Amino acid sequence: MSQHSSRRASLSALTAAALALPGLARAELQTDYLYSHYQEGDLPADRSASGKSSERYTVDSHLFRLAAPVADNVAQLDLTYETMSGASPWWVQPDANGKPVQVMSGASISDHRIDGELSYGLPLGGVDWGLRLGYSAERDYRALHSGVEAQYTPETKDFTLSGGIGYSADRVEPTDGGSAKYPTRIVSANRKGLTAYGGVSWVLRPQTTVQTSLSYARDSGFLSDPYKEAYVVAAAGTVADSRPDGRQSWALSGKLRHYVSRMGLALRVDYRLYHDDWRTTSHTLELGVDKTLGETWRVSPSLRWYSQSQAYYYAPYYNGFRSDGFASSDYRLSPYGALSGRVDVRKALGEWELGGGVEYYDASGHYALKKVEMENPGLLSYWIVNLRLGYRF
Amino acid sequence: MTIHRIRITSLLMAALALAGCTTVQPWQRGDLARPGMAFESDPLLAGYRHHVETSKEASSGGPTLGGGGCGCN
Repeated sequence: MSQHSSRRASLSALTAAALALPGLARAELQTDYLYSHYQEGDLPADRSASGKSSERYTVDSHLFRLAAPVADNVAQLDLTYETMSGASPWWVQPDANGKPVQVMSGASISDHRIDGELSYGLPLGGVDWGLRLGYSAERDYRALHSGVEAQYTPETKDFTLSGGIGYSADRVEPTDGGSAKYPTRIVSANRKGLTAYGGVSWVLRPQTTVQTSLSYARDSGFLSDPYKEAYVVAAAGTVADSRPDGRQSWALSGKLRHYVSRMGLALRVDYRLYHDDWRTTSHTLELGVDKTLGETWRVSPSLRWYSQSQAYYYAPYYNGFRSDGFASSDYRLSPYGALSGRVDVRKALGEWELGGGVEYYDASGHYALKKVEMENPGLLSYWIVNLRLGYRF
Repeated sequence: MTIHRIRITSLLMAALALAGCTTVQPWQRGDLARPGMAFESDPLLAGYRHHVETSKEASSGGPTLGGGGCGCN
């Protein structure tokens, strides 16, 4: 439902499973657990239509991973359980001075999500293959997703080719859809997503390696947000969020890893250029280091900068109706930038590994690459705190 | 014409030289195998963070495939 979806959340896929094969062949079993608490900052009073600050969303996530060798192959099971609650941006309207202010959903939303995914990695014909099948269900959204990935490293060469293709079929059944209270809200709808990527990584030096990739995604079907509305001044009221029923996007990514021997740390640089046919262009730059201390501690601080332009039909609010009928005031489609910083710490204790991390994310028009004339009042900030536990049998 | 050929040849040679210089022997790869040198050194945590970011931003994409879930609100 929300834009771009989270359907695309990473599975570090088969490639990861394939890469893990040698390690798994030595180990018998690997288990990992991740708990994460996601907390959005309150909507400030001066951005709220009610004139009062408002609490936003909270998500608690439990992720469990089990990987085991099966003959010469590897099987991996991922289970996720999440509980979500809080208020969500509903629409944006002008105040007496024309300044956009946010209207939040009245009642607190409460939901949970269960996601299960099975991956299988196997070497075949000199290529490491990965197969993936998963299912995600929450009260108002279900998704069936699958994928195939491959990775090939020629003998005596310093490069690795990788690629993959994935497909997702989703079903949206919003709460109270078609009810008297929300007559414009749909009862149900479908959406589909196709994702493909190809990439190559090179070993440039004994301490330096790079990776580039190009990915393509095509979404079709109901891509609007059934819970959001957009304010039209001429009508002195709201209309349902309405977006095109198709979107194609491209992303060019580059990653650099360099080990600084005299400092004993790895430098990490990631960049992504994204563009889609809703005319959104974004840049993402992430800089980080990974430092091992005393052989059993790992500390990984990083900074991330993000900037996007707006979708062509987006507006905080509309003075009149658009001729194409589209309307959305979702902050995700607005022009803005974001800065985030995070620190992760991990400690090895024999076969056990403990860890934790914290991240702060802040979105603002001030961080955008180009000047933002009218910032969406719903831009968010959030904290994430996570705890890790792993065991290698 | 000659200058053009020189330029092309130089580029080809440079490319070949660059390719030759990049040969890293297996015994030289100790640093490359360090955990922090992986392109995705913590797949489980990275997957979670990608899920959050693609839920809250308009962009997605990269050398991974999609997962499940709406990520709305």
